[in-house]
Amino acid sequence: MLAFQEFQHALAAHLRDPHHTRRPAGVPARRMAVYNELLFNNVCGFVDSCFPVCRQLLGESRWRRLCRTFYRDWPSHTPWFREIPREFVRYLQEAPIAQPLPRWLADLARYEWAELAVDVMDVTPPAHKPQGDLMQGRVVLNPARVDVASEWPVHRIGPAWQPRQIEPTFLVVFRDAEHQVQFSEINAVTARVLALLDEGRTGQEAFEQLAHEMAHPDPQALMGFGLQLLTSLREQGLVLGTQP
Amino acid sequence: MSCTLCCAQHSLTPPLYMAMNMALTPLNTAGLGFRRELIPALQQAVPPEIGFFEIAPENWAGMGGRSAHTLRAFTERHPFVCHGLSLSLGGPGALDETLLRRTRDFMRTHGITLFTEHLSWCADDSHLYDLLPIPMTEEAVRYTAERIARTQDILGMRIGVENASTYIAPPGAEMTEAEFVRAVVEQADCLLHLDVNNIYVNSCNFGFDPHAYLRQLPLERTCYVHVAGHYVEEDGLLVDTHGSDVIDPVWQLLSEAYAHIGHAVPTCLERDFNIPDLATLTQEVAQITRLQHAAFGEQATPQRRVA
Repeated sequence: MLAFQEFQHALAAHLRDPHHTRRPAGVPARRMAVYNELLFNNVCGFVDSCFPVCRQLLGESRWRRLCRTFYRDWPSHTPWFREIPREFVRYLQEAPIAQPLPRWLADLARYEWAELAVDVMDVTPPAHKPQGDLMQGRVVLNPARVDVASEWPVHRIGPAWQPRQIEPTFLVVFRDAEHQVQFSEINAVTARVLALLDEGRTGQEAFEQLAHEMAHPDPQALMGFGLQLLTSLREQGLVLGTQP
Repeated sequence: MSCTLCCAQHSLTPPLYMAMNMALTPLNTAGLGFRRELIPALQQAVPPEIGFFEIAPENWAGMGGRSAHTLRAFTERHPFVCHGLSLSLGGPGALDETLLRRTRDFMRTHGITLFTEHLSWCADDSHLYDLLPIPMTEEAVRYTAERIARTQDILGMRIGVENASTYIAPPGAEMTEAEFVRAVVEQADCLLHLDVNNIYVNSCNFGFDPHAYLRQLPLERTCYVHVAGHYVEEDGLLVDTHGSDVIDPVWQLLSEAYAHIGHAVPTCLERDFNIPDLATLTQEVAQITRLQHAAFGEQATPQRRVA
């Protein structure tokens, strides 16, 4: 380490955890306080704006404590400010957090983040035939999409209601052709179909696989249902069409 | 030159910088920081006083959807400058070459040919997300200059490096701030991005003469200028918030800087908080233009827009 970097490491350590580390030698308390406030407020600004429901439900002091341990404990390597909320979600999902938190918080945070993520996602729709035969052709899904599978109905959580019991929930957050973010609740079967289609199957192949997985007594009956479902997903904008 | 996209599609005026490696540019316009809050008003009409916009690549590169569409509509019609925030030129962490390559691609896509960054640091092994002062030692000069040189290699152009606002003076300094800026800029052979508000803020917070400081900078290398407002705390400490109007002593420093620089430079008004309406901001942009005209004459201002 170069000599001048010792100061930088000491300053960084103190900025991340001002309550438990020593202020670097030679730095006046008043001036250090300016940086402590500026940096933490800056990160809180990005986090606060993405997670209004989580913030409201935790309450201000618990929320701020969580932001502090995020800034202290989670090494964010992204230089892109819009990805700070994604780092926050990863922190909730992956880091050991001492503070007691609602069991659904990480999933709720991911659901809130999905709106931002989908809004700015840098994807171009692949070439597709919008009116292609969805059963015979390989189905092209909307790539500007985040699937949220949770044990909790995170889309219904709010100040008036929080879940007490597990209730498996499948949500899709996606961007439509007009750049609007849409939210859709789907069932477990549709979620499985989307996953199968994501692997590059035709509609027919996907529903054959599904029939196999379900040990369905009448696979042909499932095909009729399949076409209906895919047509409806296309109308919603989740399915774009088929590969040319 | 590199403005292939916008010129090809719209036969517009050339980009802000005709040549990437020119320290001395004849252009003499006033610009404004491009902010989402201002977009609805700007979509109605861009005031003719605004000669260019500035954006942080960290806020706009690699985005799709509506934001990307909106930005593209502006970069096709108006010159833009990239002002980086996350590069951590003097930081102990590895130089983020992925960020640089994505910045380079972003600039190409939008026909942007000027990039500047702060003479500061913001990351060790991970990001702190704000600008911190570099200890002013000979070793830090060499280290930072090498990283700037590498940055210039990757971007394929000279960059401007900005004198930063700071609130602490890291111990062990071997030179003054102005000497540090000069040493880094000269060793890296880069350009100077002069921020006159930062000079004023630091001069008040550290008790030095801003005019003497200004004269010690390598002003002949100035490629770009910032002007902004700041906040005064109760105990008199100045904080570089970009949240208020520019004050008269800072306007005076800008005039003085123009006189010393001796060549016309694009100058941007930064406003990041308490953002007033576009008409109010435009008055401050127009004040930049008045000072540019007083210093360099009106003929230095090209007609920038076709529509």
